[in-house]
Amino acid sequence: MIQLCSNDDPPVSFTVPRKAVELSKTIKTMLEDLEGFDMEQTPIPLPNVDAPTLELIVKWVEQHQDDPPPVEKPRVEDDDSDDSDADDDQEPEVVIPEWDKKFLPTDDEQKNQLFKLLNAANYLEIKPLLDIGCKYVADKISGQTVEWVRDYLNMENDYTPEEEAKLKEEIAWAEGL
Amino acid sequence: MSVATLEAEVARLQVENDRLKHTLPDFTERIVCGKSTGRLPGNSPKQFSQLPDRPLEQVLRFLPAHQVVKMRLVSRRFNSLIKKCSKTMPKKECNGSVLFEINLTGQLTVDWFDDSSSKITTTKLAGDEVTLSELLRFIRISGRLYFSHGLSAADKVLDQLCKAWLTIRPEMVIFTGNLSHTSRDSLKAFLRKVEPSIRWLHFQNACNIADSLLNDDVIGAAGCLVGLMIKPVCYGTELPNFTIGDNTLLAMVDADHVPSYLYFMGCSGITPGGIRAFIQKWMNKWMKKGEPKAGANSTDYRHRYECDWCKLTFYKCANVTPAAVEEACGDLLKKDSRMGVPNRAMNDRVWFTASCCSNKRRLDIRFNAYVSAECCVFV
Repeated sequence: MIQLCSNDDPPVSFTVPRKAVELSKTIKTMLEDLEGFDMEQTPIPLPNVDAPTLELIVKWVEQHQDDPPPVEKPRVEDDDSDDSDADDDQEPEVVIPEWDKKFLPTDDEQKNQLFKLLNAANYLEIKPLLDIGCKYVADKISGQTVEWVRDYLNMENDYTPEEEAKLKEEIAWAEGL
Repeated sequence: MSVATLEAEVARLQVENDRLKHTLPDFTERIVCGKSTGRLPGNSPKQFSQLPDRPLEQVLRFLPAHQVVKMRLVSRRFNSLIKKCSKTMPKKECNGSVLFEINLTGQLTVDWFDDSSSKITTTKLAGDEVTLSELLRFIRISGRLYFSHGLSAADKVLDQLCKAWLTIRPEMVIFTGNLSHTSRDSLKAFLRKVEPSIRWLHFQNACNIADSLLNDDVIGAAGCLVGLMIKPVCYGTELPNFTIGDNTLLAMVDADHVPSYLYFMGCSGITPGGIRAFIQKWMNKWMKKGEPKAGANSTDYRHRYECDWCKLTFYKCANVTPAAVEEACGDLLKKDSRMGVPNRAMNDRVWFTASCCSNKRRLDIRFNAYVSAECCVFV
């Protein structure tokens, strides 16, 4: 068993089976690097994850510890000078399983918790969790207006009116798609 | 143990505890990240915009293409992220036709047509405010590309279409406009970009094509084609003189590929000997078509019937005259006659018919191949 500690003061500790915790590529790499140390006696502090978020992470990895490993694809870095055919290699379709639908903090008042979960999944490199969280957010904002999206994501419009008008003109063609 | 001793021990332990509390996160950060600690965001985000780029990109990738384009309006960060990652963002498929035109005032318009040639929409691009490459970031073009009226295939257009982040996979490219502002380098780079998908290439009634624009090297950048038409508009007695020769002609046919039509106008490098070599390669391709592969076993007998045709047209090509072609290829091309060529390996017959029509400056060679036989089917 591995102990994970949140960034709270005092930290909150969770004990997780090693198989489950290794769904996090970050922690798995760390454990492999520290082979020989008695990691079961050494709590692993996670400086970017608070207790409620860590609790969700633990719950998710315990639920999915027996899932087949996801197919790893090299990450494509976007670069205008790169003339590769990466554009044909689109992301596979992601379907959110029923258990995960209930698991994700999807109420509007839990929105920030969802964003914290995405941040933690990204930091801990738990790709399947990141995928379903991002898919949920994408489904939520799909078909909505720009103003609605800004409101849902708590984002401010940082364009000047002139810049916004120019950009609107630039992407007007997209309405016909 | 005295109280004072105990207090001293508690104080020591407190100091030790504080030291460990400070040391452990540093130690962990070094190991956990394996990289500089700058990679980690300092605090858990309370807003979506505080997330690192990766989750944001991932959300955008799950959106439909038109929605991704609209998301550029959300914030500056979204805009820059979407542009940066456009290569892997969802793209709208455009399988119909895309027509570029530049009118007399210099305005570039892009017309979009669906599979059934119905116009979907027209996009007008004013000046340099909106660049073509930005327009096409989120569209995957296949189908047909027309460069129509005006300077629609000018370097400034072709260079934008060659941007690495754009996906253009047209099956057919037609140049019909004014090519006076098109350079050989830009055209070659464009043809090289579309080479994986292009099957038909037309310079059809295009005007102001400099003789130096088209040569074997430029056409070769498009690879093996099913159809090639070099048919510029000529005024008066003006004759084009492209340095396109037998290399281009022969590159269009090989063991795995035969073209359907090739139309050459003003291509002075094509010779009757090259035409003969082309016809022989085309016939050999047919002769070998029915031969079994090494190690194959016959499994069935059935009636086989196949036909194919190819049309070569030479117009105003200095070295291609009916008399010269008759002399070089007369034994292969019998006017309005049938020629049976036995294929002994399959005990069937390949029939070629060839017709040569000619007038003052134009020679059409159309030849058909028919295979009709009871034959073995090999697997």
